[in-house]
Amino acid sequence: MEISGFHRIRGKMEKNTGMEKTKTVGYNVLSLFGFLFVWTFVSWLMQSPFFPSPWLVFKAFIDLLIEGDIEDVKLGMHVVQSLLRIFGGFGAACLLGIPLGLLMGLYPRVYDSTKAIIEPVRFIPPVAWIPLVIVLLIGFSRFVFVIWLGAFFPIFIGTLLSVRGVNPLHVDVPKSFGASRMYIVRKIIIPSVLPDIFTSMRVGLGIAWECIMAAEMIGGERVGIGIMILKYAQLIRMEVIIVGIVIIGLIGFCLNEIFILVEKRVFRWKEIVSI
Amino acid sequence: MERDSFNLGEDMKKELVDVAASKSFNSMSILEDIKFKLHENEFLVIVGPSGCGKTTMANLLAGLLKPTSGHITMNGEEVDPKVHNISIVFQEPSCIPWRTLWDDITMGLQIKGADKKTIEKRGKEVIKLVGLDGFEKYFPKQISGGMKQRVAIARAYATDPDFLIMDEPFGHLDAQTRYLMQIEIMRIWEKEKKTVVFITNNIEEAVYLATRIIVFSKLPARIKGEYEINLPRPRDLTSLEFLKARAEITEQCEVVG
Repeated sequence: MEISGFHRIRGKMEKNTGMEKTKTVGYNVLSLFGFLFVWTFVSWLMQSPFFPSPWLVFKAFIDLLIEGDIEDVKLGMHVVQSLLRIFGGFGAACLLGIPLGLLMGLYPRVYDSTKAIIEPVRFIPPVAWIPLVIVLLIGFSRFVFVIWLGAFFPIFIGTLLSVRGVNPLHVDVPKSFGASRMYIVRKIIIPSVLPDIFTSMRVGLGIAWECIMAAEMIGGERVGIGIMILKYAQLIRMEVIIVGIVIIGLIGFCLNEIFILVEKRVFRWKEIVSI
Repeated sequence: MERDSFNLGEDMKKELVDVAASKSFNSMSILEDIKFKLHENEFLVIVGPSGCGKTTMANLLAGLLKPTSGHITMNGEEVDPKVHNISIVFQEPSCIPWRTLWDDITMGLQIKGADKKTIEKRGKEVIKLVGLDGFEKYFPKQISGGMKQRVAIARAYATDPDFLIMDEPFGHLDAQTRYLMQIEIMRIWEKEKKTVVFITNNIEEAVYLATRIIVFSKLPARIKGEYEINLPRPRDLTSLEFLKARAEITEQCEVVG
């Protein structure tokens, strides 16, 4: 009872975490149903083809899942294709961003000497690259490049700042025992920055989703969630568009939850506060 | 009044550390012409007002900083944690958050390349010494501030250092824990007879622990005084001699008046 202006004089606080969890899930289900109810009600009031009810959206979802879209591409294919692109670009961003961030964090000289390139590029929104990308790249590489652009900087900058923020005392401890630089990097710096790297990866992943939608909506391909949305936008089929939007949200939500789960497992030593 | 109870027999012990150094950061002078020698088994306490460069002194002694001019040698060689067996207890809580207490306490032994058996044996010894047995698998976030400081002390003791530096190790502790830790540190020192430099701004603590006290002035720090303390141990905080020594050093420190 440290937080507020009251305290228990006697008696035990019953804390049942299993019970708490069930309650939380219950409230979420409740609020979800509340939301669906309001949606249904509003769509019933509107009686407009541009405002489909949840039921219509659900039917469109099943149709897409089983029958596929107007070009017979099934929803699963769209999702898998988009995910592949995400993982390609996001993977590349991690593969480059983390080591580069570590390197430039450890050797600020390298960063200071390349700042004139890094910093301006950082502020170019990935979308601004798209016209260039359309001309220069085709197919898969086009998407990977745009996603990479978006996800790279949060991961790179997050890692770099984290290395600089390592508690100097944690470095002095092994140093005072005569530890080598290698030991300090492996046993102090890397474990110390890992949680921050994870957080910046989550941020990067969110941006990767934004980027892929932008890249896919340029058109030119047949498969991908963004492309599916675009196809139906031209037909003004709102229920399918909503299926696409909801799917994007749900996948993002699931990926984020997986990340948080891993973080909680790996960084047991830390109090993790994640959103 | 300096060295008023000089005891030659005690001072015949081998000289371990020789300090004759100044330190400045950029153009700001922190330590000016600090000169003293340290003998084996001595418990030297440095006292001085807060912000007078005591922590800088500790880092210089540990070889984590280099003096701007002059030298700090141990057994005739420039002090270097890669060469000498030194340990330091930092003023700030220094537990490594991702290491269990066991891994933290045995870190020095691992770095110095001790074999598994030695690590196991010595680790258990020091954990018992500071009363943390049973907490080996805990992480720092799960233990109290006083326990964290005991982890730092155990870690420093584990490598069996020839020279132990303690920089206000009890500064963050409450009075009760502080008192217990002082008794504990005396017990450990008497048992393992190490050479210690102990830094504090608490004069009572200094008189309670020291074989010798050096008083630092305000910034830039110079040595203002030096005292040999030969009171019998365990020292009685209320004895007349204790209070006299304490009063004189307090006066020297400009805390009073």
